[in-house]
Amino acid sequence: MTAHEIAALPDLPADLPGLVRIETSDRHATTPIIMDMLRSVYPHDQVFGKYCTVNEYIDCPPDEVFRYLSDTRSLEEWTYSLRGFTPTDEDGLWLAYDRLGDSTEIYTRTVAHADARTVDYHCAWDQGKHLWMVYLMRVVDARTVLDVEGSVVLWTNCHHPFYDENPYPETAPADRVPWVGDFWDMFAAGHQLEMSNLKAICEYRWANNLPVTPNWMGE
Amino acid sequence: MDTVSLIDIAGYLPENRVGADYFAQFAATDRLADNIMFRAPKFRHHIASDENAVDMAERAVAPLTERNGAELISNVDILITHTQLPDVPILGTGGELARRMGITPEWVVDLHNGGCASFVYMIKLARQIMQTSDASTALIVSVQNSAGQIFTQSEVRTLAQSAVPGDGAGACLLVKSAAAPVLGLECRTYPEFAGDMTAAVDPPRKYWETGTGQLHIGFTESKIAKVFARGNRLVPEVAMAVCKQIGIAPDEIDTLVTNQPNRLFLRNWRDALELPAERHPDTFDECGNLFGAAIPVTLDIENRAGRIPNGSLVMMSAFAHAGDFAGAGAIRWGAAPAGGVR
Repeated sequence: MTAHEIAALPDLPADLPGLVRIETSDRHATTPIIMDMLRSVYPHDQVFGKYCTVNEYIDCPPDEVFRYLSDTRSLEEWTYSLRGFTPTDEDGLWLAYDRLGDSTEIYTRTVAHADARTVDYHCAWDQGKHLWMVYLMRVVDARTVLDVEGSVVLWTNCHHPFYDENPYPETAPADRVPWVGDFWDMFAAGHQLEMSNLKAICEYRWANNLPVTPNWMGE
Repeated sequence: MDTVSLIDIAGYLPENRVGADYFAQFAATDRLADNIMFRAPKFRHHIASDENAVDMAERAVAPLTERNGAELISNVDILITHTQLPDVPILGTGGELARRMGITPEWVVDLHNGGCASFVYMIKLARQIMQTSDASTALIVSVQNSAGQIFTQSEVRTLAQSAVPGDGAGACLLVKSAAAPVLGLECRTYPEFAGDMTAAVDPPRKYWETGTGQLHIGFTESKIAKVFARGNRLVPEVAMAVCKQIGIAPDEIDTLVTNQPNRLFLRNWRDALELPAERHPDTFDECGNLFGAAIPVTLDIENRAGRIPNGSLVMMSAFAHAGDFAGAGAIRWGAAPAGGVR
């Protein structure tokens, strides 16, 4: 098939709402739409309300950062408040405590793909049956995207409805006051802080010829 | 450090009030008209054919003389002018204005940079001179006169950009006193953005050479996006810097007055400073883009309407050209009309 034989979107009406393509809305028509979207400042909710994304450059090779992140126990080191990781009876499922929630139990399963260097932490407070809090991370070779040695780490959380209401209240400790969703508006800042932890740890170890993934994690 | 106060302000708009239909009749298929950056104001004022820059300056200053007395004005130590399109290319309006007013200030400065933010820059320059010399009175004048001259040329008026500018002039009086203090000023030059605004003539020639093409401002789509993003950032940035300097939060600003290149900027700037529209008056629909005169003209109109009470906090903020300069200044207002309105 040659290029001129490509017929894009033959199955869609040209005036489909929400579809803006150069064939039906040229640059002159589209530029004002874009300009109207550009602001001096953006409300916090618009930027971090539905999706919370933080990014950081780390002066440490991407495979090293990926390997470190892909071990669930690294969360013990670079997160702000997840501590005391222990394996559960279920393969790959870890139990820890989120000290943000008065020593709340947090369950974590890590899904990592080395080819794409994606690391997804599937977590939940209180119970390990439904891991609905998902931390999506990707390590990118900085040479490819910034033309420098090192890594770029992309990290996104999606505002799952369970953040707004505990779906399993029966699993919560009776005397616990906060719910994880109470902190959603702090996630952007909190995650940036944790990303700084990750950066500091990886950069120090790499610069000082220490294993980025500490030996004890291999035990 | 001597305190410098802005004790009076005045504006002047040429009589010729031009509706949007004037440009609509000439509009070519210049699709920049669709661009929000160039959505036309309802009206703008154009300099008269027999009026020059010094005439406008004189007319802006006249109310200051009337209200503050010829004696004060005749003894000004500093005269700083900014003229968008000088009557003679090699000098501004200061000397001729002084001659007409019969004054001999020690300092006569024709300031030619600062563009839309030049009013703030002139205040800063005057304050600096006053704080480092015996000079105690300064007259600041801004004349914007391209709209009815450059932008009404037969080829240029067909362009979308031509419906936006307006002519006008503004002036203020500064004295060494604590009556209406200039609380803080922040002026920043961004050389990296200099040269992004160009005067275009087609076919190309030096603007003063005889030729066929008509001088206008060179805008391209890509340039507009860059300038827009810069402007979005710069005006709140320098205003915030002044807030920090004087130890206030942006929401303590009672009246924000900015330059007014288009409605989008106006919206974005007040959003950025988290101010409601009523605290950010503008004269865009009546005057269009007044460039360097926007701040004094808007302040004058609001002041005469009694909407800027003495003691209120006024913030001026603007950026110039394609982002090569930005300036902001805060004043504890003290120029309200004696009877409330004027």
